[in-house]
Amino acid sequence: MNDSEANYPDISDILARKEAGRRQRAALSFTEKLDALDALRKRVQPIVRARKLRERGQGGRPVGEA
Amino acid sequence: MSLRKTIEVVVRLADAGIIQEYAIAGAVAALSYIQPTLTEDLDILVSTEHFETRSSGLILLAPIEKALADMGYTERTDVGVVIGDWPVQFIPVASKLDEEALEQAVEVHIDVPGEPALTARCLSAQHLVAIALKVGRPKDRTRIDAFLQQGAVDLVALKGILERHGLMAAWLTYCARAGIEDPLRTA
Repeated sequence: MNDSEANYPDISDILARKEAGRRQRAALSFTEKLDALDALRKRVQPIVRARKLRERGQGGRPVGEA
Repeated sequence: MSLRKTIEVVVRLADAGIIQEYAIAGAVAALSYIQPTLTEDLDILVSTEHFETRSSGLILLAPIEKALADMGYTERTDVGVVIGDWPVQFIPVASKLDEEALEQAVEVHIDVPGEPALTARCLSAQHLVAIALKVGRPKDRTRIDAFLQQGAVDLVALKGILERHGLMAAWLTYCARAGIEDPLRTA
């Protein structure tokens, strides 16, 4: 059975909303995008910091790897 | 310190003549044209005529570092000098393409509360795509995808740049790899 025969949900509206969101974000002013980037970076900073600490502690190898 | 403030420090360096020609490059420059994507640093392309060059070809960016140190920015990371919360990488012009990109950089305006908007220089969309193509890492190809998908690049101007700088073969390889028909064919 291929995809067109299977009973999968129609996700075209989800994809359309995602595309609209992309366009909306792309249309923000440069200043608004700089602020968005600041916020985005703050959100991922704990993850980045933890990764760096792990790498330093393991001589460059992620934790759990031999 | 916000990225706005970090850019303001770079503009102050330019106003003071510490750096001459400059433009915001990399992911932060791409912001000007496409939706925001995460980056860890701010790239600044700088002209090098007035910097000392060692016989080995190494360019000394000491004047920039000294000026920043005088302003209190002495911390360094593996990706550059930290200005506020952002590591800033000053990248000397290293090719004819970089030279042209710097010459044709455009102005962007950044709102500063209670003050007149700050004007900074930023690489054009076409040059960002051409440089990404030349550098060619996976994240650069992703950036090109974004510019094309979001219709954020002037294809006629891009074609001219790629032809001038011998990048058409790399472009066709990119298209083949991305599984797309060459959008420049009709440009």
